[in-house]
Amino acid sequence: MGRIQLKNVTKSFGDVQVIPPLDLTIEDGEFAVFVGPSGCGKSTLLRMIAGLEDLTSGEIEIDGAIATQVPPAQRGLAMVFQSYALYPHMSVRKNIGFPLRMAKMAQPEIDQRVETAAKSLNLMDYLDRKPADLSGGQRQRVAIGRAIVREPAAFLFDEPLSNLDAALRVGMRLEIGELHERLQTTMIYVTHDQVEAMTMANKIVVLRAGVIEQVGSPLHLYHRPQNEFVAGFIGSPKMNFVTGTEAEKHGAATIGIRPEHTVVSMSKGSWKGRVGVAEHLGSDTFIHVHDTGVADMVTVRVSGDIAVKHGDTVYLTPQADQIHKFDAQGLRL
Amino acid sequence: MSARKLPRLLQTPAVLLLLVWMLIPLGMTLYFSFIRYVLNNLRRPEWTSPSLSNWRGFGNYEFVLNSKDFLFAIQNSLFIVCSILFLTVILGILIAVLINKTFPGQGIVRVLLISPFFVMPAVNAVLWINMILDPVLGLQGIAVGSINELLDSLRNAPLLGWFFSLWPDLAPISFRATQTSAYAVIIMVTWQWTPFAVLIFMTSLQSEDQQQKEAAILDGASTWSQFRFLTLPHLARPIAIVVMIQAIFHLSLYAEIEIVSRGNGNKNLPYLIGEFANNNIGAASATGIFAVILANIVAIFLLRMIGKTLME
Ligand SMILES: Nc1ncnc2c1ncn2[C@@H]1O[C@H](COP(=O)(O)OP(=O)(O)OP(=O)(O)O)[C@@H](O)[C@H]1O
Ligand SMILES: [Mg+2]
Repeated sequence: MGRIQLKNVTKSFGDVQVIPPLDLTIEDGEFAVFVGPSGCGKSTLLRMIAGLEDLTSGEIEIDGAIATQVPPAQRGLAMVFQSYALYPHMSVRKNIGFPLRMAKMAQPEIDQRVETAAKSLNLMDYLDRKPADLSGGQRQRVAIGRAIVREPAAFLFDEPLSNLDAALRVGMRLEIGELHERLQTTMIYVTHDQVEAMTMANKIVVLRAGVIEQVGSPLHLYHRPQNEFVAGFIGSPKMNFVTGTEAEKHGAATIGIRPEHTVVSMSKGSWKGRVGVAEHLGSDTFIHVHDTGVADMVTVRVSGDIAVKHGDTVYLTPQADQIHKFDAQGLRL
Repeated sequence: MSARKLPRLLQTPAVLLLLVWMLIPLGMTLYFSFIRYVLNNLRRPEWTSPSLSNWRGFGNYEFVLNSKDFLFAIQNSLFIVCSILFLTVILGILIAVLINKTFPGQGIVRVLLISPFFVMPAVNAVLWINMILDPVLGLQGIAVGSINELLDSLRNAPLLGWFFSLWPDLAPISFRATQTSAYAVIIMVTWQWTPFAVLIFMTSLQSEDQQQKEAAILDGASTWSQFRFLTLPHLARPIAIVVMIQAIFHLSLYAEIEIVSRGNGNKNLPYLIGEFANNNIGAASATGIFAVILANIVAIFLLRMIGKTLME
């Protein structure tokens, strides 16, 4: 069980209010991802849930019981830190077994649980090594192992993959996803990488300056962003925003078109522009188009390879049913 | 000239200087330890100047080994050094952990804590033996005296007086006595060198990873467990450094021993060398060679220990 509820939670450091009153419920078994730009309070929120940071006001409930005053160790939550926070003087075996040892569990049972965790994380060959002798991905897995053995009510991850290289990150992303499928335990995952958020989450919580901008499933956020901020934050490459007369035609202050929802043609279309940079990824081509007269730069994404280069003239046509409309306050129309 | 040769060539003067610096005194000590060489001898004036014709072989060594103070001096050297090491490391860790937390007046407290380290050893010894440890005029004497006075007046109190009359008067300890002079040296050197340990441990504590602590808190580790399983292993290397450096310094204690009791009941090898050197340079040199051997044994022992903590 791991239903986590934040009620009217606030946090101030001195005079600075980092988290204005905030309500949020994370259901049992959910994979919730907190995303937002750097400094928006994601880590602070996570640390408050873990009990490492006091609340300035409000309540946290875990499984219906008020946990605000409960010490961190007794909340039944396990955390995986960005820097892994492994104990450098202990072997992998001791690291993973540490929470059990602190819980005064009998040694045979500790050994058995550590082995089970190590097997599921492919760490069997490294059990007697020190963290310093492991690769980044292996360290990450040890940190996850240390969290798993406690059989927590929920896992908290604070940007666990940001120190890994791109290829490893994809691999670990899948592993954590599989872990969630297997354990069906609540997970709260902090990241500022929106790809991680889109691929892993059941529920994405988009934060800006401590305020929740939108909560919802990844595809809901993608298709129906509540405001310009969410629209710009979710999706890669970023959504293009067009203001002025072009937007007024659609009865909005701003319209947003995702790069993948724009048709490119060499001969005709709504907007004529000049190619700045064309990024050929093989599977896709990202074209950055200038001088369209509607925005500084419009990014489009074309499936497959298309023969355009710097300086070419192209015509862009947004797909009419994929245009997001926002009012002057940036709210969805 | 190859790329390797130039750096070597540039290092040579420094290396040579160091070698000369160490080898000449060591060589002379060795030479003196094998000849008869005394400063004053009316019957055998030829012994008063060093010369190979006064060759004595291992005679000086035999003489030193058979002298009544030699084994005692070695034992006492080790006793003093080990006691000081033990006390400074324990106190150093305690104080460093305490003042590592933020509290008002932290800066001043830290400066005050470090200050004993800047007192000269001889001054330190004079202050301690006369002003603090003296059984009559020192703080100790005053404290013991006033406790006894208090006891006296309590004995005359109605009702409870009989209870206090069961208590004996306290007797002040004379730290210049044969049995206690080593303790006086241990106390004063510990006081002077604890700041050194605190300083080293404090810098190390400040580099401790806070996220590891937080992870341990979430893992259910008590304050003691955090100290035992995270802080103490983190301090292993600085402890080894403190032990190593202090051992080197304290094997050659001299001023404190001289000032406390003039070696009465409390000698170490350097003090013994000093005593021999009043006249018998040959014996003093032989003792010096023994001191070099002892220092090397201690150093090898300590290096092993440090090696082990690093391997861990
Ligand atoms: N101990 C602290 N004292 C004062 N201010 C703090 C403290 N910890 C965090 N803050 C402030 O709170 C805000 C939120 O910080 P937080 O670490 O939660 O951001 P974040 O969303 O995790 O950012 P990032 O993606 O860079 O990790 C920041 O403006 C930060 O400066
Ligand atoms: Mg953060």
